[in-house]
Amino acid sequence: MNRFLDLFLMGCCVLLGIAILFCLIRAIRGPRFADRVMSINSIGTMIIAIMAILSVRLDAGYLIDISIAYALLSFIAVVVLVRLVLLHHGAEHSATPSPAGAADTPAAKTGAEAKQEPVTARETAVTKEEYNR
Amino acid sequence: MIRTVIGALLLFFGVITMVVATVGLFRFHYVLNRMQAAALIDTLGILSVLSGLIVLSGCTVLSAKMLLIILFLWLASPVTSHLIARAEVTLHPAIEEECEVIHDDGTI
Repeated sequence: MNRFLDLFLMGCCVLLGIAILFCLIRAIRGPRFADRVMSINSIGTMIIAIMAILSVRLDAGYLIDISIAYALLSFIAVVVLVRLVLLHHGAEHSATPSPAGAADTPAAKTGAEAKQEPVTARETAVTKEEYNR
Repeated sequence: MIRTVIGALLLFFGVITMVVATVGLFRFHYVLNRMQAAALIDTLGILSVLSGLIVLSGCTVLSAKMLLIILFLWLASPVTSHLIARAEVTLHPAIEEECEVIHDDGTI
């Protein structure tokens, strides 16, 4: 690998590093929740690009395996985070809990638990039906 | 020699795409627009970068693994984009001011 290619690859790594810094600024400043999640996902993808460039430059074959694992991790992280936030939001904004023995519970398999559910406000953020879904 | 030039050009195009998409993250005013700019990084940017690196390193196991990364990211990033957009539409209290929302039962 000649010198120019080496310098060029290093320059690409530096450019991507600066872009990661700006994405981080958007993650900190972003007024909405979706801003932050989206920029963390983009930072993850740019890190995959940097690791792939490094694996070619340093002639190390194992660095690309780390980037495969990182791609999987970042995908799972976004899915779990969004699902958790939507569950919490759905539990907070749902209707008031129905009295014991209600006929309009959506899940049929938790009918027995719904009959014994207290009428007072629930303490946890997620109801049993949503957790078992 | 010609292989190095093509690989370097593809890699440079990919890096420029990622930088331009990051600029777009700051220029748009609405979240859903910014999400369109961020989706550029996950699809076009990583495709160009990894294609350039595949051309640079030739026919090795490394190139096969990079092809695997491209395949996985092209399958998984539409899912994440859809999930984040759904989260934004659900959590935003005044989404009708920014864009038209089609609800799950088909009404507007």
